[in-house]
This record gives sequence, C-alpha cells and structure tokens, in this order.
Amino acid sequence: MTQLKNVFKLIGLYFKVNLASALEYRSSFLMQVFGMALSNGTFVFFWWIAFAQIGGRIGGYDFNDVMFIWALTSTAFGAAHILFANMNRLTRLIISGELDTFLLQPKDILVSLLCSKTSLSAWGDFLYGFILIALTQGNSVMVWLMFLLGVVTGGLLITAICVTAHTFTFYLGDASLIGNMALEFVINFCIYPEGIYRGFIRVLMLSVIPTSFIVHIPLKLARSFNPLLLVVLLTVSFFYCFLAYKFFYRGLKRYESGNLLITRL
Amino acid sequence: MKNIKKYLTVLRISLQNAFVYRSNAIGGLVFYSLFIFVFFNLWRAIYQGGEAAGYSLTQMVWYLCMTELIVFGCKNGIYNEMNEDVKSGSIAYQLMRPYHYVFYQFFNALGSMFFNLIIYGVLAVVLGLIMVGPIPNFRLSLLPWGLCSVILGMVINFFMMMTLGLTAFKLEDNLAFFLIYQKLVFMLGMFIPVEFLPKWLQGIAHWLPFSYVAWAPAKLIVAFSWEFFWQVIPIQIFWAILSLMLALGMYSYGVRSLQAHGG
Repeated sequence: MTQLKNVFKLIGLYFKVNLASALEYRSSFLMQVFGMALSNGTFVFFWWIAFAQIGGRIGGYDFNDVMFIWALTSTAFGAAHILFANMNRLTRLIISGELDTFLLQPKDILVSLLCSKTSLSAWGDFLYGFILIALTQGNSVMVWLMFLLGVVTGGLLITAICVTAHTFTFYLGDASLIGNMALEFVINFCIYPEGIYRGFIRVLMLSVIPTSFIVHIPLKLARSFNPLLLVVLLTVSFFYCFLAYKFFYRGLKRYESGNLLITRL
Repeated sequence: MKNIKKYLTVLRISLQNAFVYRSNAIGGLVFYSLFIFVFFNLWRAIYQGGEAAGYSLTQMVWYLCMTELIVFGCKNGIYNEMNEDVKSGSIAYQLMRPYHYVFYQFFNALGSMFFNLIIYGVLAVVLGLIMVGPIPNFRLSLLPWGLCSVILGMVINFFMMMTLGLTAFKLEDNLAFFLIYQKLVFMLGMFIPVEFLPKWLQGIAHWLPFSYVAWAPAKLIVAFSWEFFWQVIPIQIFWAILSLMLALGMYSYGVRSLQAHGG
C-alpha cells in the first residue's frame, strides 16, 4: 500500500514539474492546446455529414454514441500523454542508452521513465473530450461517471499497450514500428463504431489491443449499466496493466548499458 | 540553364536517396494499408443502402485510396524541416549556398514525392482491387491526365506546408496553423468528397485551395470527365502559383529580419 502511495506521489511530483515547465512558455502552450482541440473538433463535422447522408445508425452507433467514444478517446489519450508522454519514446530511450539514467534512480524505473516527459498538445485532447461530453451528452450522472471511469482505465490501457509494444525492443531490436503501429491501431479502433469491424479484428479488440475496453464497453455501461460488465472492465484493465508492467521488467533484464554519458536537467 | 541543372542534380540525389533508403517506406506502407482498411470498413457500414452523393461504394473506396495516396505521397516532413531550420538557426548556413532555399527544398522533396507516388500507387491499386475490384468505366488512356492533377495537388500542398513552416520566422509556435490546415484538407476532400458537403459549404470549398489538394485529383481518377478536367486544372495551376508566391514571399520576409550571430 505504501509502495502504491509512493508511485502516486512520484507521478504527482513529475506532473507538477512538467506543468510548471510547460507554463514557462505560456503562449506556445496555449497555441498547442487550442490547435489540438480545434483539430479534433473537425471530426464532429465529418460525423455530422456522415449521419446526415444516411440518417440512421453506423455500425450500430448513433451520432451521440460516436461523440461519446470520440470524447472518451480524446480525454483518455490526453490524460495518458500528459502524465506518461515518454510511452512513445521508449524504443528511442532504450536504443540510445538513455535508460541508464533511470536505472540509477531510487524510484520505480518504469514510472520514472514514463512520467519524465509531458506533451503540451495533449492538454487540448484532454479538454476537448470534456467539452464534447458536456455539449452532446447532457447531464446524465451515469454518462459522466462512466466517462470519468473510462478516462482512468482507458488512459492506463493506452499506456500499457504502448509500453508492451515498445518493450519488444529488448527482444527484437528497434521496435519503433511496432510501437507506432500499436498507437495507430488503438486510435483507429477507438474512434469508429465497434460494429464496422468484423471477425479477427473484433477478437484483436478484445485481447491483444483491448480497445473495446477503452471506449466501447464504457459506452455500453453509460447507455445501460451492468455491474457484471463493470467488474469485467476493471479486472481486464488491471490485469492488462499488470502484465505490461511485468513484461517490461522481464525485458529490462536483457538490457545492456552502452555507458552513455548524459545529463538530465 | 546552369540554374536548372543544379536543381536537377538536387532532384537526382534526392531520388537516389529515396531508392537507397527504400526500407524506410515499410512503416508508411503498413500505415497506408491500415487507414485504407479502416476507411473501407467505415464506408461499407455507411453505404449499406447503395449510392450516396453520386458515388458508389467501389468509387468511394477508390476515391479514398487516391486521396490517401496524395497525402502519403506528400509526406516529406517539409513543415517540420522548415520549423527546425528556422528555430535552430541552421537556415543561416543555407543562405551562403549557391541556390535559392525554397527551390532547393522543393527539388529535394520532389525525389521522395516521386518515389512515394510509385510505391503507394502500386499499393493503392492492389488494395483497391482486393477490396472492391476495378474502378467502374475506368480507361487507362485517361490516367496520365488524372496524374497531372495529382501532381498539381501535391505541389499546392507542398508550398502551403512550406509557407506554414516558414511562419516560424515570426511565430513562437505555429503548430495550431499546421493542424488547422491539415484538417481543412482532410474535411474538404480527403476524407469526404466535396459533393457530400451541404450546398452552402460546397460553394465556399470551391473558392478555397484545400479541395484542390485531394478532392479534384481523386475525382478525376475515379470518375474522369473532360468537362471536370478543364474546370479544375486551371484552378489548380492558379493555386500552385499562388502557394509558390506565398512561400517565396514568406521566405524573403523572414530572411530580411533574420539575425545570425555566428557560432
């Protein structure tokens, strides 16, 4: 329990330092936030046109359902990249030998590694989801609860998927392609209705790349709450993150230092 | 003549580089296939009942193969390169070299654009044929005319991106402009044909350059007509020249206020 408390404390400290550093360049920060939110906003327009053309449901989802999965993807993705932006740089850090610095620190290596960088534009993604939910879903308590829960589980799952993909670098060498592909798969399977995919892709979405648990199950829960489904969501999220954590440390045993000298300021 | 020769040498070297480092394209090919696969699934779900806005599902999938081909063909990092050159100050080194920076960058990018067009073009044809079969009423003899439009679309996009990158001379952070431009191209033609838009927006889109990057060339490939060809080509030429002027103007304006401090 104390260990978990320490991890949260460490994440909180990194968050504070990263935010203070971002606010040093206030105009750049605001420009990136505004740009990202506006950029995401254009997709509302696409879906509006698509639904206007067919006037019904697409892949089993109506316009409001699509807005919910979009909002949840955006905020979960934003939260993950605000707190753990290094998830997409793991391969580079491993290959360049920059991992050495983290190995010497007295805190959890993976947490330190993930938290030591933040993404400014991710704030745009994070805020955009809240705005979209407020504008399209009304003030249903269940929708907001499932949205907030989805942000936590979804953010952790996105991070875990990226960590797992980049961990392959310990085994295969440069796995940046696998890492980038994993992130693209996550985004593309999250922002479109689940029903447009069939067969093998649906199996993938429920297993290796568990995007169904990031947005589609929270949507089902928001529309019609089922306690059993909630337990499944929490259990799968916990186990996937746990396995990703273990997989990283197992891979780390294969790491060989290149004796690179670097300074972290 | 000497002027043209040096730029042709730049083009030759960039082409050689693109072919030598061809394995770099593998990631792009995977992502291209992923996007087409996702769009295919999405539009198949949208098209449950026949045609929409005059496009059949087959035409729509080919349309997306073409618009993505243009987007991936244009991938040369010019926006990031401009930003980096301006912000790091390395643009100062380029000023002493015996070429015009804007034209050097253009011919340097042409090699990779040409290479991309070939490899993504082959992949687009393969994916299109696998997913929906051949384009209805397609005539191979008309393809070169469609390709002229594709090249003009890529030129417009290149100089627009370059102009946006060069705004780094004046702006601390220009990412927002890049994202907005990218999404305007995306929404006004790349992802949905202009015919899908409400009438009032179609009128506006015809007056803006964004639709001429992807919509006009893709429509010419999937549903060629001479009438449409003569309608869009002059507009594309106009936007290509204007975007070049904008890039040249932004460059000379930025360079005038550049301060180099050695080092």
